[in-house]
Amino acid sequence: MRILGLAFLIFLSALNGAEVLEILHENCAQCHGKGGKVKGKVNLLEIADLDHLKGDPELLQEIIDVIDFEEMPPEDEPPLELGERKQLLAGLEALRFEAVSEQKAFVPTPIRRMNRFQYHNAVQDLFGLKCTVYSLPERMIRDHGGYFKPASGKMDHLVKVGSRPLGKSQLIEPRLAGVAAFPQDLRAEHGFDTQADHLSMSPLLMESFLKLGQSITGSQDFGPRRVGIWKEFFILDPRDKREVKVVVRERLQKFLRKAFRGRVKREVVERYVGFVDVQLARGVEFSEAMKLVAAAIISSPRFLYLYDGSGSDGDGFELASRLSFFLWGSLPDEELLKAAESGELLKEEGVQKQFSRMLKDPKLKRFCDTFPAQWLQLDRIISSVPDPEKFPEFYFLAYRDSMHMMMEPLLLFETVLIENLPVTEFIDSSFTYRSGHLEESYGKLGNPAQKRRGQVVALDFHRVPVEDRRIGGLITNAAVMTMTSGPERTHPITRGAWLAGVIFNNPPEPPPADVPTLGEKPKEGEEHLTLRERLSMHRERSDCRGCHEQIDPLGFALENFNAIGKWREKYDNGRKVNMEGVLFRKHKFTNVIEFKDVLLLEKERFVRGLAGHLLTFSLGRKLSPADQIALDEIVEKSAIEGYRMKSLLREVVFSKPFRAKASQANK
Amino acid sequence: MTTRRGFLRGLGGAALALPWMESYGAKTLTSGVAKRMAHFYVPIGVVRRGFFPGEEDATIPKGNLGSLRRSLDKQDPNFNVRSLDQLTPTMTPLSGLKNKINLITGMDRTFQQGTDVHAQCASCYLSSAPPYTIKGTAWPLDRTLDHLVADVAGKETPFSTLEFSCNSHKDNKESIYFDNISWYGTGHLAPSVRDPRKMYRRLFSTKEIERYRDVTDLVLEDARSMKKDLGYADGQKFAEYFDSIRSIETQMDRLESMKGELAKVSFDEPAEAYLPRGEYIRLMGDLMVVALQSGLTNVATFMVGPERWDTPYLFDGLFDKPMSHHGMSHNQTKMIEQLLKVDRFHMEQYAYLLKKMEGVMEADGSTLLDNTLFTYGSGLGDGSTHQYNDLPIIMAGGGNQVKTGQHINMPEGTPLANLWLTQARMMGVKMRRFADSSGEIEAVKA
Repeated sequence: MRILGLAFLIFLSALNGAEVLEILHENCAQCHGKGGKVKGKVNLLEIADLDHLKGDPELLQEIIDVIDFEEMPPEDEPPLELGERKQLLAGLEALRFEAVSEQKAFVPTPIRRMNRFQYHNAVQDLFGLKCTVYSLPERMIRDHGGYFKPASGKMDHLVKVGSRPLGKSQLIEPRLAGVAAFPQDLRAEHGFDTQADHLSMSPLLMESFLKLGQSITGSQDFGPRRVGIWKEFFILDPRDKREVKVVVRERLQKFLRKAFRGRVKREVVERYVGFVDVQLARGVEFSEAMKLVAAAIISSPRFLYLYDGSGSDGDGFELASRLSFFLWGSLPDEELLKAAESGELLKEEGVQKQFSRMLKDPKLKRFCDTFPAQWLQLDRIISSVPDPEKFPEFYFLAYRDSMHMMMEPLLLFETVLIENLPVTEFIDSSFTYRSGHLEESYGKLGNPAQKRRGQVVALDFHRVPVEDRRIGGLITNAAVMTMTSGPERTHPITRGAWLAGVIFNNPPEPPPADVPTLGEKPKEGEEHLTLRERLSMHRERSDCRGCHEQIDPLGFALENFNAIGKWREKYDNGRKVNMEGVLFRKHKFTNVIEFKDVLLLEKERFVRGLAGHLLTFSLGRKLSPADQIALDEIVEKSAIEGYRMKSLLREVVFSKPFRAKASQANK
Repeated sequence: MTTRRGFLRGLGGAALALPWMESYGAKTLTSGVAKRMAHFYVPIGVVRRGFFPGEEDATIPKGNLGSLRRSLDKQDPNFNVRSLDQLTPTMTPLSGLKNKINLITGMDRTFQQGTDVHAQCASCYLSSAPPYTIKGTAWPLDRTLDHLVADVAGKETPFSTLEFSCNSHKDNKESIYFDNISWYGTGHLAPSVRDPRKMYRRLFSTKEIERYRDVTDLVLEDARSMKKDLGYADGQKFAEYFDSIRSIETQMDRLESMKGELAKVSFDEPAEAYLPRGEYIRLMGDLMVVALQSGLTNVATFMVGPERWDTPYLFDGLFDKPMSHHGMSHNQTKMIEQLLKVDRFHMEQYAYLLKKMEGVMEADGSTLLDNTLFTYGSGLGDGSTHQYNDLPIIMAGGGNQVKTGQHINMPEGTPLANLWLTQARMMGVKMRRFADSSGEIEAVKA
């Protein structure tokens, strides 16, 4: 398989291009081309020769994916024999390699404005603010006791957390009065809120940015208590006998370098010095004038936009920005800028050194505030409303259990990162974090020893060992089970689609089945059926099967968890839950633990999926065939250290697409 | 604030309108009264039985016919024009306004395979580009009608267009493609305002924006020098920054020159409070009407809700618990009564705005509605079949430019773009073709 490495496959077992084409024509053209029959819009007979195939890396990728995930040939067609499949895959991958190297470049990431979260952090870092700028409910976990200590390499056994979107008063925190943000940038479908083609500017937004700049520096809270650089930037030292203009220039040089993330040309500095000059001449006080210039600077496109210039990144400033926006969601700090300036970032050791340092910095929390929640699509738990009559236990006081549920996968993610554990913990972990309340909402699978129901502000989460493997790993977390269910029943297809998209990074095609959705409650005369029986009756058309053969077994595998994540052996009608299935048409499973076992057998696919999500997030664009080769390498290299989280991140940072200039194909 | 209060908010929260002051935006124009255009977008289609004449016995779609994307029953394929005497149940709220509207049926769009079926309903509604004509994107999305029209009709207003949305969902469930009908161009969103207070301040508070002047000069300099560092493609996209700054500068100049007039506007700043859904929509609508009336803009779009977005809303007065419009649309067999209520509810809001516009007198004695092309429409012909054909469209207003009181059924396969072309030309845009248009809707022209 992929993991063996490309070179190995190419020399030992790959088919050559002509053979690949022959197999495709022989085995697949029945449905894809012959007699005008073109299923899935793929006509293989249109591919007359090798050059044609090599000229279309997207098509190659599509073919590789359906064969790799064993979506094709479909179940009712003669299968490819195992060896044949492997050889074909290797041959296709070799072709893709050729195709991509002919194209030479990665797809560029377009210039884009910062999103709301990045802007917030950049402003905070630029001024050294000791409070938030405006509330960000998208940062789901609020840290109440300072548990997040990445440098320690250890997570505490007891952490105090709050849920910003669902907890009580969790959005009340020290911030700058009078500052109002623009709306949250929506996450791209199967993507992230960093995706460049979703981040454009408009007069309305521009007005927000201008307003933000002024309301930030004009806030009553913008003063010595909150602003870290207050003295060094906004206050004139009476002992300093130099000309004011000289002082202003010196301060602006430093400030602009940080705001604009690199060397700043003299003419740019002078422009801003001139602005302060004019203000002072008008009689504006020094601090006021400096506030005004700071507001202007954070409205400049050099601050607001993320981009790589068209020249070469001869010094590494662009790489510094890419690193910091990936891992810190913000500007590079002085040390990173220095590493760029000195040329250190142009060397492997230099990047390694900065990377290791960045992972120990508390700012890593920002990565944890965005990536995991968006990767897991956890925003969906916010709007989950199980039927209060059917699930009264989901509601307490004026709140919902989801407030506690959403913390569990996020804390697991943070622990795996901080403690550098293998990412397979996400599938099957030996520990988890639970509050007393959450223990109780798990019912039989909870541990009633630690009862403390009803916390709504700061929630105590304890690290507990997982002795029953039914519950370890985030895929069976109550949060995931609840947000992939409807108000009255589980939605196995939604769960399957979630697993396919999130865990394997292979989301099913968007258009839903051409059949009515199943009602929340069984129809008359169908009360005695299990959900699976109802669904299979319900799904008749053969062309739906292709996708459903893939996602159904994944979704049904979790049927033992009801619509709020509680364990069940039987449905309400007394019928036994049947969750058996076969993963990727290879691995049989008969219970959830076996399901986790077979997922682990396919761990390379999971790691590759996660690596793909990380790369997408960090690059701010969708991946293309050229990136797939990098993914293979990331998986292969991170395997050496047992797929530990930090090595995975490291390989992403060291991958070619991450280190290539975003604008390289953009000339 | 002003001494005259245009709105009184009673205990029930209902908006009571006092007589409107005459529209003075028009006065700023030398050539009589300005022409305006507004679009009222309804998400997730309608129940065909309730909306379309002659379909009262149409087949009720069973569940979600997600990839059917065509009608279950055959619609009249031939061109004909009837007088609009009997209104269907969903259209009943328009009964006093029959002579101000045209019901236009038989209008089609084409879905481009490759995205969720809802993702193109709203986002591509006003550009209606034929599939696969826009390179490098899964959405056949081009500069939308409102901006094309504003390029001509919005040259002298502070805001070239205004975008209103009544999406009050607190979660972040869907991407931008489900939540926006107005686009400057492919991938270039014209974001909407959902909060009435924010819209109010945008329209009437000139104080804040004045302070930007010094700053905009400075940052434009930065932008110019920065552009030299960019490659070709990035340079193209970066034009959005210049455009945005320029729009703001123009906006400042024009607001400045209208200061005296705007001070007379009798509209209270909305209070920060939860409003029942109907009141919220009408408050947003009032803001749109006042913006059109006072010459703040000539072009507006109004989304009454986002596409798909399963999160339930509380439709106050209709149901006793929050309901998901999209969820219900996939279950017409069971939820048809509730869906008809939602359709009717949206129509009531549209009717409210028509009446409001009709009540505004302009300088030459005509009404604001006479000078506005105000179109109701949805990107789906039905929320279950997800059909892009036979869309529900009602065009109101237009005064003596338009022949009204008709049900116009266009021949099968008439592109929606034909209506957009007709409207663009009525608004004074010289245009040979709009997207895949094949002609105009002659029957609406007086």
